[in-house]
Amino acid sequence: MSLEKITNLFDARHWIGHMEADYRYTLGIAGERFFKEIKENARIMGAKCPKCGVVFVPPRLYCEKCFMKLEEWVDVGKRGEVYTYTIATIDIDGKKLEKPQIYALIKFEGAHGGLIHKIGETENVYIGMKVEAVFKPPSERKASINDIAYFKPVK
Amino acid sequence: MFGKKRVAIVGAGVTLFRRNLKETGKELSFHAAKMALEQAGMELRDIQSVVMGTAPDAFDGVHMKGEYLADGAGAYHKPYTRVFVGGGTGVFAPLAGWWHVASGKFDTCLVVCEEKMSSCYPHPQYAFTTIFDPILERPIGMNLIWIFALEMNRYMHKHNIKKEDIALVSVKNKRNALDNPIAQLAANITVEDVLNSEIMAWPVQRLDVSPTSDGAAAAVLVSEDIAKEVTDNPVWIDGVGWCIDSTYWTDRDLYYPDYVEYAARMAYKMAGIKNPPKEIDVAEPYDPFDYKELHHMEGLLLCKKGEAPKLTREGVTQRDGDLPTCPSGGLLGCGNPIAAAGMMKVCEIFWQLRGEAGKRQVPGDPRTGVAQAWGDLMQYGSVIVLRR
Repeated sequence: MSLEKITNLFDARHWIGHMEADYRYTLGIAGERFFKEIKENARIMGAKCPKCGVVFVPPRLYCEKCFMKLEEWVDVGKRGEVYTYTIATIDIDGKKLEKPQIYALIKFEGAHGGLIHKIGETENVYIGMKVEAVFKPPSERKASINDIAYFKPVK
Repeated sequence: MFGKKRVAIVGAGVTLFRRNLKETGKELSFHAAKMALEQAGMELRDIQSVVMGTAPDAFDGVHMKGEYLADGAGAYHKPYTRVFVGGGTGVFAPLAGWWHVASGKFDTCLVVCEEKMSSCYPHPQYAFTTIFDPILERPIGMNLIWIFALEMNRYMHKHNIKKEDIALVSVKNKRNALDNPIAQLAANITVEDVLNSEIMAWPVQRLDVSPTSDGAAAAVLVSEDIAKEVTDNPVWIDGVGWCIDSTYWTDRDLYYPDYVEYAARMAYKMAGIKNPPKEIDVAEPYDPFDYKELHHMEGLLLCKKGEAPKLTREGVTQRDGDLPTCPSGGLLGCGNPIAAAGMMKVCEIFWQLRGEAGKRQVPGDPRTGVAQAWGDLMQYGSVIVLRR
């Protein structure tokens, strides 16, 4: 095989092509209700399995273990705890971010699962830190995960 | 015995791993397949079935790349299947090859794994942005490095592990790779080099991570009858296991890979292995990140939870240690053409058990080895146990 070292990707003879396709993803049955609650009521909901009693956040239509349909919904509150976090310093192109951004997996009391989100209003973060969702103003909410602007430390 | 036929590996081949190779994915597949056939002393006409393992289409940039790569893998006019379980593909492909032969349907199966990540530019990371949940995660702007950083942080927190101890894995594997002619990032580095390298997403730094690569790897699998005809040194596939955990990675205890443990238990049960640390002579756990080698050693039950950093610090996982781990140089040293990287690990165990690993050979006449890969969205485990 070729042993020639190529340090510039474009040094080998090549053809430039694209694989373009745009997508429209439905939120799904559970997702519609979850994001409607966030948009209209600023509430974070979970769905409870009638068999094992586990409350899933984000809520889903079925329990993957019991294979039961989940119909009972519960409000898990705006407050959670940092389960793990990272401080991102470069973007997807490998370029330095203007400001490091904290991302965390936030777990809610009594619930299984959690939400990945940004941590704001602080530069300090630690595992076990109590945080609270900061919602965008109602007029700016679009039934998206970004209707939650970020999570901030609970004072 | 499991299945109708016992299955052996009788030949293996791995191409160079490089950031950017001139060869197309088809050509890389051809080189690896040809090398495996040559070592087996067989020709394409002896091959009754072909399995291709290759990861997301978005890397090569060809939708249905299983079909695109088929001729390079030697599949022309043959029963052919592509299998794909993300990063787990490289060890899953020989498992699929195993059932082709173990079922009694075929006496021979050529297994080829390929990845040409350099087609995707400016960086193959782009292909990873679309693996996340489109509703819950992509709007946040998820990046693959970040989720590994989240997992690594949880692992460190749970067992109070220092970054210095994790960095030792990168130092070891890159040094092991100095003896591997295929290696892309072989180097003599120090723990300080790792700790001083660029921070990507804390706690992940540049030298904690394997690179993106082009490459291919292949092996010839045959039934016991054929094995006896073609070689005096068959290496038997004595255990296979695979498992998927919750697709909501946010649901899992990130400090421990349950899915690897379940896959390992399945493979060990089949191989009759009761005490893995004692009975396994050489291991190739999946190491796309340095902490993952430790994580996976624990999932493979090669040590207790949280104990892998200690074994590493004590030199147990060095090539001349009691449990040589990633003697190939792993993904950290050799490179990470996803599916080909997992398959390279299977090829390495094959060569180690035959005493053909040259300067990489582990001492002590190893008889039993394990290779493992990990994939999908951090929840797929595939495990293979090989024996001489």
